[in-house]
Amino acid sequence: MLTANTILLAYHGTDGAKRAEALAYDIISSEEGGRIVHLLVVPEELWAGMQGDDWLNNASTRDTFGSYVEGMLEKDAAEQVAAVEAHCKQRGLAYTPILRVGDLADCLVAAARDQKVDLVVIGPPRSKKESGLRSRMELDTLGRGLPVPYVVASGE
Amino acid sequence: MIYTKKSPALVIIGILMFLWGWLNASGSIDGLQSALQKSAYSDHTKVNEKFQAELRFANEQAQTEGKPAPELKKPTSKFDKEKAFQTKFGYFFGSVFVLIGLFILTWKAKAGNLDYYISTVPGMALILLIAFVVRWGLDPMFANWGKDVQAAGILSWDFAKIFNLNYVVMGILAGIVIVNVIGIPAWAANGVRTARVFLKTGVILLGTLYSAAELAQLGFLSVVMIGIFVLGSVWLVLLMGRRMKCPNTMTGVLSAGLGVCGVSATVAASPVVQAKAGEIAYTIGTILLWGVGCMFIFPTVGHVLGMGPVQFGAWAGTGILNSAQVAGAALAFDPHGIETLKVAEIFNITRVLFLPIIVLWLAAWFVKHEESAVKVNLAEVLVAKFPLFVLGFIAMFALSSTGVFAPAGHYQGKYFSSAEVKEDKLLKPKEVRALEAELPKARNASETKAMQDLIANRKVMTREEGETLKSVAKIEGFDAVAAGAIANANKAATHDSKIIKNFRDWLAWLFSIGLIGLGMQITVASIKQAGGKPLIIGSVVGTLKAVGSLVVVLMFVKEFV
Repeated sequence: MLTANTILLAYHGTDGAKRAEALAYDIISSEEGGRIVHLLVVPEELWAGMQGDDWLNNASTRDTFGSYVEGMLEKDAAEQVAAVEAHCKQRGLAYTPILRVGDLADCLVAAARDQKVDLVVIGPPRSKKESGLRSRMELDTLGRGLPVPYVVASGE
Repeated sequence: MIYTKKSPALVIIGILMFLWGWLNASGSIDGLQSALQKSAYSDHTKVNEKFQAELRFANEQAQTEGKPAPELKKPTSKFDKEKAFQTKFGYFFGSVFVLIGLFILTWKAKAGNLDYYISTVPGMALILLIAFVVRWGLDPMFANWGKDVQAAGILSWDFAKIFNLNYVVMGILAGIVIVNVIGIPAWAANGVRTARVFLKTGVILLGTLYSAAELAQLGFLSVVMIGIFVLGSVWLVLLMGRRMKCPNTMTGVLSAGLGVCGVSATVAASPVVQAKAGEIAYTIGTILLWGVGCMFIFPTVGHVLGMGPVQFGAWAGTGILNSAQVAGAALAFDPHGIETLKVAEIFNITRVLFLPIIVLWLAAWFVKHEESAVKVNLAEVLVAKFPLFVLGFIAMFALSSTGVFAPAGHYQGKYFSSAEVKEDKLLKPKEVRALEAELPKARNASETKAMQDLIANRKVMTREEGETLKSVAKIEGFDAVAAGAIANANKAATHDSKIIKNFRDWLAWLFSIGLIGLGMQITVASIKQAGGKPLIIGSVVGTLKAVGSLVVVLMFVKEFV
């Protein structure tokens, strides 16, 4: 059975991410010293395209919109961090949250190196029927860049 | 935070522009330019041949008379003018960019306004470089290809014309390709975001080109059409959203985006209806997908249906979901004139004036349907959402009407002035004699007086007499020389305001630069977000709006500009 002391978990609240979280708890060593590193990424390409080609609005409307979206993302992130942190606490696991803006795979590779994790756990790709943001993890980048193995939670 | 990125890019762009100016000035690329500017080069050849013939004749005459060879001034051809323009632009912007680029490389940036403003220059330079390449290179190249392919019989139609492959469409495409293939470099990011300022400045300058009657007619037409289609589509989206059980937040933001002016309305309405990040992304993706698609389809359909500027401007201004692509479609339809853009922009302005009203409507709707909704302040919304550049447009229209840029009563910079008729433009004795012979044909006292004044002064004295004389020239059997004299006299008394002419030239550049910059903000990642119920609703509303407005325009809108 696969075990690891420090797991990097990519979690952003979707059904797939919840499966990844459950899998991480299954794998993580039950002995003392287990740590979950929770990576939450806001995809940069999405953030950058959030105002599209708006040109009619004045600066005050754009500022209001920017602050609104920032606040919303911050609130979402805080909720997800709180949820995973509570689950870790229940299991007596140490918890480290990391928030990044950028490419999903690049951020994951960088976090795996910085945090010296033993294993990376990610969720399965979302089914096409499921609604949500279209931002896919580049498995090719992960395969080439990760210094440790990665596990993908099953889709069902 | 320091915004200015140290990079040699601006210096390189400056050198390239300067080099282009020098190559034009030295004549080293005349071969390339003659291939690109075929029509201007053909004019150049004719002007040259005519000049050489005149010179030869003058020299022979001087020789016969034993006089020294005369010095004749060579007239400037369109080709010479185009080269001189490219030289001037290349030298000016090349020098400015090299100097600022060197400053960026040597300057130790400190946080503040100077840093922020300087940081925008490399991005603007990049857009301008793309505009140079597209306008002076790709546009004539594709136009020539289109004609050559048709002439060679490979295609029976001109593909460049049918697909509107002109500088506007290719500029936007260049922007989209750059952002999605290589991405916007960090040193250019701040400047690219200033593109909207160029578009707004373009709209403000456009204010100088309307007459009061034209503005009133277009304003009325746009209020009626936008009123019906904006309110209708907002209502339809609200209805469909509830029927399809979309969340209120999703329905609210989608109705603003699809109903009013696309992405700009989405940005304005999202906080009011508390739309979630994913819902905003869905809406923007749907709008961009439709907007970009329509920008290519509308001009082709417009040409196929033989629409005029008012009809096409009204259709594009109403039927295209996203306001940025309205200007693009208008210029793609009519890239070398300004008439269609003038109509389309009035529709854009009307849409944006509707925006605060729709935001208030949605706020009220959201409060009614959502317990968590926060009530908004009416005055705050009206003030915050009011588009200030519309005031600039109105101010320019008012200034132009009162005669600041050209004498009052001008139309698009053209005005009547008898006092400014030059000596060499006065009627020749032969023309006066022809008019005297035709005087008895005048049908009434005002025609007689207008002709007598023209004969006595050898120029048209008032605008009214000019109009009367135009109808005199159409009298059956009226002498051709006399009719030509009337046309010449009217032409001599009509002048062009240099300021307004400059505004017209700048307008094309401002819109071109602005649209390239906006193209650079259209990412495939954003468009890929389109999907699910929002795409279904968007497709229904987008199609109804495009087809419905086309039917209304074809049935009820006549050309009047």
